[in-house]
Amino acid sequence: MKKSIGDNMIPKDWGFDRGLELVKRAGFDGIELWLGDVPWFQMTTTDAQVRELRRKVESAGLVVSNVSTGLHWATPLSARDPNVRAQAARIVERQIETAGLLGTDAILVVAGLVTEEVPYNEVYQRCVDALKPLGDKAARAGVKIGCENCNSEQRFLLSPREFAQFLNDINSPAVGLHLDVGNIHDTGFAEQWIEIHGPRITRIHLKDVLKHRGRSGDQSVYTNLFLGDNNWPAIRAAMTKVGYDGWLIAEMEARYRYAPDQQFVDTAQAMDRLISGRL
Amino acid sequence: MDITRREFLGYTAGAMSVVGAPLPHWTAPSVAERRPKKWRVFCSDPDVLPESSAGYRAVLPERRSQFEHWEQSDPMTHCSLVIMSSVFLLPEKIARRLRICLQRGTTVIVESGAGFANHLGFRKHRRSLREGLGLRVAAPVNLWSPPRATPYVDYTWPTRTRVRDFTRLVPPANQPGEIIAWAGDLPVALRQRVGPGTLIYIGSPLGPALSIGDTEAIRWLYAVALSA
Repeated sequence: MKKSIGDNMIPKDWGFDRGLELVKRAGFDGIELWLGDVPWFQMTTTDAQVRELRRKVESAGLVVSNVSTGLHWATPLSARDPNVRAQAARIVERQIETAGLLGTDAILVVAGLVTEEVPYNEVYQRCVDALKPLGDKAARAGVKIGCENCNSEQRFLLSPREFAQFLNDINSPAVGLHLDVGNIHDTGFAEQWIEIHGPRITRIHLKDVLKHRGRSGDQSVYTNLFLGDNNWPAIRAAMTKVGYDGWLIAEMEARYRYAPDQQFVDTAQAMDRLISGRL
Repeated sequence: MDITRREFLGYTAGAMSVVGAPLPHWTAPSVAERRPKKWRVFCSDPDVLPESSAGYRAVLPERRSQFEHWEQSDPMTHCSLVIMSSVFLLPEKIARRLRICLQRGTTVIVESGAGFANHLGFRKHRRSLREGLGLRVAAPVNLWSPPRATPYVDYTWPTRTRVRDFTRLVPPANQPGEIIAWAGDLPVALRQRVGPGTLIYIGSPLGPALSIGDTEAIRWLYAVALSA
């Protein structure tokens, strides 16, 4: 397995070049690029500029592990407005295009967003309808779309079997699961998601979660690896069981208040321990 | 009406089984169920609201219904029900055919697909409905700004039914006819007699609710078809 971390973790005042040096020095093998979340990689970034990003990544001794985006939180594939949906599809298409330019074969998509306004059944159907043609495009480009399980935030596809049914309904070998082991909270157990989805997992995001220890004890909060309630030995064993040997990508939503570069080093070392199985 | 009780039960059972929903309660069929006529669903620009026409397609029986793009439409003879799904601009050629249908006693449902249109687009929409069918509509209303307490449209005709709203409503303006659906205090749908025919305008698209198997939406549609 190889280690990666998102470029959106790079301290804001560091810039891409210095950030790459830090990622390499901390011991990562690759970097996850977040379309729309960082100034150097936007929807307006040209193909030539994307190629230049790849050159910088490779010059730093790294590779691009995958292309992610947070743009679908504001522009979901499940929106009622057809114009918003078209824009959301265009974001996925740009992810597919840039994945090719960056030399990676995976993208992350937050597929749908259930709200009071847009009910579950509509979100489900629209996402299936949108992801079928996008899956075809991804397949032609040699890229896999990993739909992320943002269980609580999306209020969508809360169980692993339901997620499997969703993928069955899309019925595209180019559409799978980008599993985030920290997102499951009280709705299940990450190791069971790994077992159920096995070869459909495109990438794995790593973070830990403290259940019921947020404000008033009624919220879960994200934390660094091994500080929370994830059962890491079980997660590691499940990866072995299903033969997952792909990228592990750190997504540390709780940031160090001081010495932010130290978080990169600590996280990389924790990932090494996870990969080694010495838990 | 051109559908038998047995056919109705068959169609609704088929539609419900697709969406896993229970069968609606059956009420006595219309007296006139002898002469078969077609139900026809016309889709406007597929980019406007494709899920709406998909919704009608999902719940109406293929044997009885025709689904087509309106550019290919014939004079629409022998239709008891014509559904214009997610209408944005209504070409005069189509409007003329609809007027003829109405004069022959057809029920015509016109569903607005302009809720998300920009200002200029909506003005064109409003003008084409006014010039084509004499329908007057008000500016779109975002039902979800500020947040709503209940996300439903209440239909009062031909049956009392509650269906989910669709965010942007294009309300019917003041004009002759009967308001047959409300979202709170806002009128949503209008029924007008036009000669022997009936013109029904829906300002909050029904098709999306049909496409996700909303039992009440399906019941309403069949109730209209049975009364046509």
